[in-house]
Amino acid sequence: MRQLPCPFCGARELREFVFHKTLPAAASATADASADEFARTYLRVADPQLSVEHWQHVHGCRAWLLVRRNPSTGAVLAVQMLSGTAP
Amino acid sequence: MSALPASARHYSAWSLLRARFAGSGYWRPLWAGRKLKPAYDVVIVGAGGHGLATAFHLARDQGMRRIAVLEKRLVGYGNVGRNTTIVRSNYLLPENHYFYEDSLRRWETLSHDLNYNVMYSPRGVVDLALTDDSMLALARRGNAMRLAGIDAELLDLAALERFAPELEARRKRRFPIVGALLQRRGGTVRHDAVAWGYARAASALGVDIIEDCEVTGVRTAGNAATGVESTRGYVQADRVVFATAGHTGMIGAMLGTPLPIETHLLQAMVSEPIKPLINSVYVYVSPGHGETYICQSDRGGLVMGGHLDGFPSYTREGVWHRLEDVVQGALELFPRIGGVKILRQWAGTNDMTMDGSPIMDRLRYDNVFVNAGWCYGGFKAIPASGAAFAKFVASGTAPDLIRAYRLSRFASGHLLDEPGQGPFPVRL
Repeated sequence: MRQLPCPFCGARELREFVFHKTLPAAASATADASADEFARTYLRVADPQLSVEHWQHVHGCRAWLLVRRNPSTGAVLAVQMLSGTAP
Repeated sequence: MSALPASARHYSAWSLLRARFAGSGYWRPLWAGRKLKPAYDVVIVGAGGHGLATAFHLARDQGMRRIAVLEKRLVGYGNVGRNTTIVRSNYLLPENHYFYEDSLRRWETLSHDLNYNVMYSPRGVVDLALTDDSMLALARRGNAMRLAGIDAELLDLAALERFAPELEARRKRRFPIVGALLQRRGGTVRHDAVAWGYARAASALGVDIIEDCEVTGVRTAGNAATGVESTRGYVQADRVVFATAGHTGMIGAMLGTPLPIETHLLQAMVSEPIKPLINSVYVYVSPGHGETYICQSDRGGLVMGGHLDGFPSYTREGVWHRLEDVVQGALELFPRIGGVKILRQWAGTNDMTMDGSPIMDRLRYDNVFVNAGWCYGGFKAIPASGAAFAKFVASGTAPDLIRAYRLSRFASGHLLDEPGQGPFPVRL
């Protein structure tokens, strides 16, 4: 992975972007709030083919981005503007 | 104490002399090319440092005989052959510094224990400080180490100049050095020799090392695993051990268990060989470029590494701008190496845990064990990890040395967060 396609600026070199965090594994469907908290805070998606991440185009348009990538191949699956909840 | 049974060839000055006159047939392969058997007491997945060391200690100390180590590629292909060879025990938290000190003590005698020269070189590990604040942080870490009986010296500029003249500590710099923390017993070990030495010693004790054999699944019955599926067929196992370093996330996927682990890349590089210049291991955090650590291999190459690439990946393909950061940090430290060329660059996969400390525990099933989460510090942990984990796998009870590395610490809040940065594997 050498570039990331910014939805506003087009394909830009990776160094213009800063990775912020991986979204945790979806909270389990149990009624146990503390188990959910644990999963939300610490567990990561156990899928080596998909990583959902927050990035920022810091040295560009400074937009916050929601990026779906395949960490096993480096392929970028989708990039969109992050909206709604604070990152 | 030598680990090898009488049937294996013992290396000594005498054996070298004999080899000189014995002709080309004298040297034998270091480990036997054995066939995969249908059943084992312990199947270890991953013939890296931790897997091979665990196999060695299971065979030597725990009296287990039917052991196989299955390796997807080749012995030493993974992180044991991709690190920057640094060993040290300069940790702040007691759980960590006692463990890594146990490891450092084992490094000191490992060449004798394995009857294989791993070239342990206690040349000193020097953490440099650029501000008074970081001097205080280093003093705190050094004091914690000394309270545990581990050697640590806080060096002011004059002492640093004496210990490391090549650093020219008082030279005028944009970011002047103010001092350092030194661990003299820290240093380097030849990483490939560690893989080969453990593989040879384990093989001599009867461990089957099977290369080119990828584990693709685990067969289970109730609360226990019964064996593993591999590209060479099904293997029955009483106990299964995963020591797959950066690919532990994939093991979690295989067992349907999300783990508090993200896999990140760490790059390293080595320059063309030059005459001896850098005497110790220097760790330097540049305000502009981030972390650089640099030492010189016995062959003369400058070995450098730095911070993680910064996002999850299994690709082993490093990003260019991190390589630049590392080199620019090295140039700030040693401007005179500006004309030296980089010979090779590579990346390894690091399973970064959410507190930066390892995980040594059962995973989902009673007889499935995982030795993982070594972040970027797995190499120096190998001897202690192998000995303690073998005891755990054989007895079913984790020894005190590794009890803090249990998986449940994340749920219970007993984190071992050395840098105090919260549940993020990367903070840039």
